[in-house]
This record gives sequence, C-alpha cells and structure tokens, in this order.
Amino acid sequence: MGVKGLWWKVAGVIIFIFVLIGGLCVPLRPGVTSSQPANAKNGDTLFMNVIGYNTHFSTAQNHRAWLKLDSIHAIAAKDFFGKNENEAVITFYLPKDLPTSAKVRPLTLIVDNELDGAFVQPNALFLTIEDNPTHSSSSWTQADLTNLSVASGLKFPYRNILNETIRNTFFHVALWFAMFILLIAGLYHAIMYLRTGDYDHDIQSASFNRIAILYGVLGLLTGSVWAKFTWNTFWTTDVKLNMTAIAMLIYLAYLVLRGSSADHDRRAKLAASYTIFAFIALIPLVFVIPRMTDSLHPGNGGNPALGGEDLDHTLRLFFYPSIIALSLLGTWMASLLIRYERLKEKIFLKS
Amino acid sequence: MNIINIKDIFIKEFSVEFRQKFAFFGIFLFAATVVFLIYKSFNNINPREWTILIWIIMLFAGLNAVVKSFLQEKKETYLYYYTLFDPIDLIVAKLVYNFVFLCSLFLIILGILSVFSGFPVKDFSLFFSGSALGIFGISVVFTFVSVISSADGGNGTLMSILALPLVLPIVLLLLKISQVSVRLLVDTSVVEDVWLLAGVDCILLGAMLLLFPALWRS
Repeated sequence: MGVKGLWWKVAGVIIFIFVLIGGLCVPLRPGVTSSQPANAKNGDTLFMNVIGYNTHFSTAQNHRAWLKLDSIHAIAAKDFFGKNENEAVITFYLPKDLPTSAKVRPLTLIVDNELDGAFVQPNALFLTIEDNPTHSSSSWTQADLTNLSVASGLKFPYRNILNETIRNTFFHVALWFAMFILLIAGLYHAIMYLRTGDYDHDIQSASFNRIAILYGVLGLLTGSVWAKFTWNTFWTTDVKLNMTAIAMLIYLAYLVLRGSSADHDRRAKLAASYTIFAFIALIPLVFVIPRMTDSLHPGNGGNPALGGEDLDHTLRLFFYPSIIALSLLGTWMASLLIRYERLKEKIFLKS
Repeated sequence: MNIINIKDIFIKEFSVEFRQKFAFFGIFLFAATVVFLIYKSFNNINPREWTILIWIIMLFAGLNAVVKSFLQEKKETYLYYYTLFDPIDLIVAKLVYNFVFLCSLFLIILGILSVFSGFPVKDFSLFFSGSALGIFGISVVFTFVSVISSADGGNGTLMSILALPLVLPIVLLLLKISQVSVRLLVDTSVVEDVWLLAGVDCILLGAMLLLFPALWRS
C-alpha cells in the first residue's frame, strides 16, 4: 500500500485531533449557575444574588437585566452591582399589580452586557401573589427588551446541569454513530459472505463487528461517566441504557459464537447468519422501544432530540467531524485486524 | 412451501416426542418442580413477582425443551431430510411444533402457578394475546438458535448463550404487557406494545426464513 492509500487514515487522525483540541478548549458561553432567593412576593424589593459562569460582571460596563413573565410582560432591573466577575447583586422592584391572576408565577431572568451577550436563567424566581392584586399590566410593559448584545467568538452553549460536560457530545454521541456505521459495514460483509462464500468477507465482517463492540463499550463508559455528573449515578433505569446493554450482550454472544468452533467454514457461515439476525434484533431495541417510552435522553419522552437549541452550530462544527473521525479511525483499526487475520489464515493454510 | 410436507414433519416431530415420554414429561416435571420450589420459598406471591416468575420459568423451561428439537437428530437424519424436503418446509414445521410445544408448556406452568398462588390477571384478552405473540417470538429465536448450535456440533451451552440475549427484548415487552394485564401499571399505550411485539416477531421470522436455507446447506 503506497502513500495514496493512507490519506483517509491521516484525515481521520487530523480530524480527531481537531475535535479533541477544539472540543476541549473552546470555552462555554456565559450563563447563570444559580440565583438567590428563589421566591418573592409582589410588591417586594428584591436583591437577587446571581452567580454566573464565564461571565464578566465587573469588567463589562453596560449591564442590563430583566425578569420576564411571558413574551410581552417583563420588568427591568433598577440596579446592577457586580461584586466580581462571577457574582452580582441585581435589584428589582416587584410591582404590586400583575397582568395575570395565577397564584404563583415563574419568572425568567435575562442578563445582558456588551462582553457576554444576553443569557437567560429559566424559572429563576417564583413570584407568589398575595392579597388580591390589581389586574393591570402597565408596570410590566415598560421594560425595553430590545438591542440585546451578541457575544463574539466561538463558544459552546451553556446548559444548566450539563455545564462543561456538554463537550462529551463529541465523544459519547459520536461513538454511537460511528459504532452503527461499523456495524453496518460488518452486516454488509456478512451478507456478502453468505452470497459469495468468500472467506475474506468473513474476516472483514468479524473485524468490523469487533471494533464496533469496542466502540459500544466505550460509548457505555463515556455515557456512564456523563451520567455520574449530570444524573448523579453511573447507571439508571433509563430505557436507552438498558436496551443498549442488551444490544451489547447480543454482540458479546457473537464473540462467544466465533470462539466456539474450530471449523472455519462452518464458523463463518454461523457467524454471518448470527450477525444478520442480531442486527435485525437490534433495530427495535435501539430505535423503536426507546422512542416509545420515557427516557432521560434527549429525543425521548417529549425531550427535544438532536437539533434545535441542543445542538447549535458551534456543537455541530465539532460533532459531525467527530463522527467522521471516529468512523475513519474505527475502519483503520478494523483494517489492522483484517490484515492480522489474513496473515493468520495464510500461515494456517501453509501448515 | 408445501403444507402437506409441513404437516408430515409436524406429525413426525410430535410422535417422536411422545415416543420418548421421559424427555417430554421431564420438562413438565422440571416446570412443576421449579414452580413448587418458588411457591415454597416465597409462600405468598404478589402480582409483580407472579408476572416476573412466570416468564423466567417459561424462559428456562422453554430453553431446555427446544434445545432437543434440533440437537436430538443425527447427521444422517439431516441428510435424509435434505433429500426429501425444502428447507423452508422443515424450518416452518419445526417452528410450528416448537410454538405448540411452548404454548402447552406455558399453559401448564400457568395452571400449576395458579393452583399454588392464585391467578391475578384482570385483562384476559390482553394477557393471552400478548403471551401468544411473545411465545411465538421466543419460539422463533429458540428455533433459529437451535439450528445454529446444532450446526456447530450439538453444543447445548452455546444455545443458551446465544438465545438469552436475543429473547431479552421480547421478554421485556412481555413483562410490561403482563404487568399491565394484572393492573400493576396503567398504560394507555399498551396496545402499541402488543403491535411492537408482533412487529418484532415478523422481523425475526423473516430473518430466520431468509437465513435458514444458507445454514442448512452445510
């Protein structure tokens, strides 16, 4: 194999290094980690302690903040005092009159300055309404929620709970995508083996499947670590986790099947049939059942799927290359296995 | 596909099974013993445990039963079949036989378990339609895996290693359906689960029918 055949390996490595460096070094967009107090009554003067992340509360000059009730009703802050870069006290006068008659209303905090851009904390404050307020919206409509600043530079979105772990998208999610690409390669070679009976297809099918299993294990491990930091446990009863565990068991049984027989032809035939059967069993397991049940994962039980705000342009910039890089690296690993198996086969045939 | 051939193989399987009474009754004895053991160790089985136990017993008793269906036959018999029948006929007959066998096994386990610890099922049509579909799926997987393990030289351990992970999704769906049918859970979308189970059955059946002729040639 000359230099010409190497380009995709080089591309895989370069793209993966790009994803590693970019994915780990690009900073997160500013956001609000927490705000105190969480409850207030109408008519109060509210001193809200806000703790930000990656914010510039003391260096930025033009601070503005709002408490938003709904799309047209909001009140502006009276005063903004930045204690340090990440801590600020925002003063609000909560008006007595309200545009709604609900007892408790959640308010969204919006903070804006010229360095950080605008960022929000949903449900930052629960407003409790006491003694029949007057129904008037005059004091809620004067806030000027226009000319929000936009932060410059490449940054990942800030998500509460996820925080810095959002970078795991490039590894955990991309590993699953790459695993499926490798499994499909394994399936293709299994079908080709049954059609042609060429033993080389069996070697290729087995190698792709093995690397796919490795990716599956890595995907479970990265997911488990991620779950520890976001859901506070390594393993949950979430459907997707358990269905994936079953899928891994099915493919581990494949490895047992491959190790069970000494007769190459028979083993190849059995392994190829099992690959097809297992892949077919995998489709309802991974694609159908989790979509029908509630899950903590995005894309299930009413949670938004990939897309929308969860996967914005900056994430896509590294997410898609990561899938390509991991698939290329996986193919490279599989091709090493294939060459090793071919050599073994050659020696076996000679002796 | 030839219905008469299928019927012939089915009848032959049936008579072979009944001629070796010890194996046949051995499985039912196994089921009865396990049920009794579980009843004695739990003493009082609540509906949740009931639904779990019936499928666990079913799974292992069924595994024992189906292992024999391909493993008991000799290489020479296969060669003889090969000259006589279309592979599709053979696998369909085996599948139908396994399905009937597992269904009767299920009814017997159900009967024994009900005698000892009551019958908590409230929604009969859901329970029995779900169970029938699930047992059909289980018999498809078991038949296919027993073909594989018999082609691999009659290895019984391989059968359980390969079959258990493959039936897991079916058993999980079955557990959910039967838990709804004993009113442990309230789930308005349980009909979707039944359809999903039917879909999984169809896919597995299709895969088996496609793959069996290739395996058979060896």
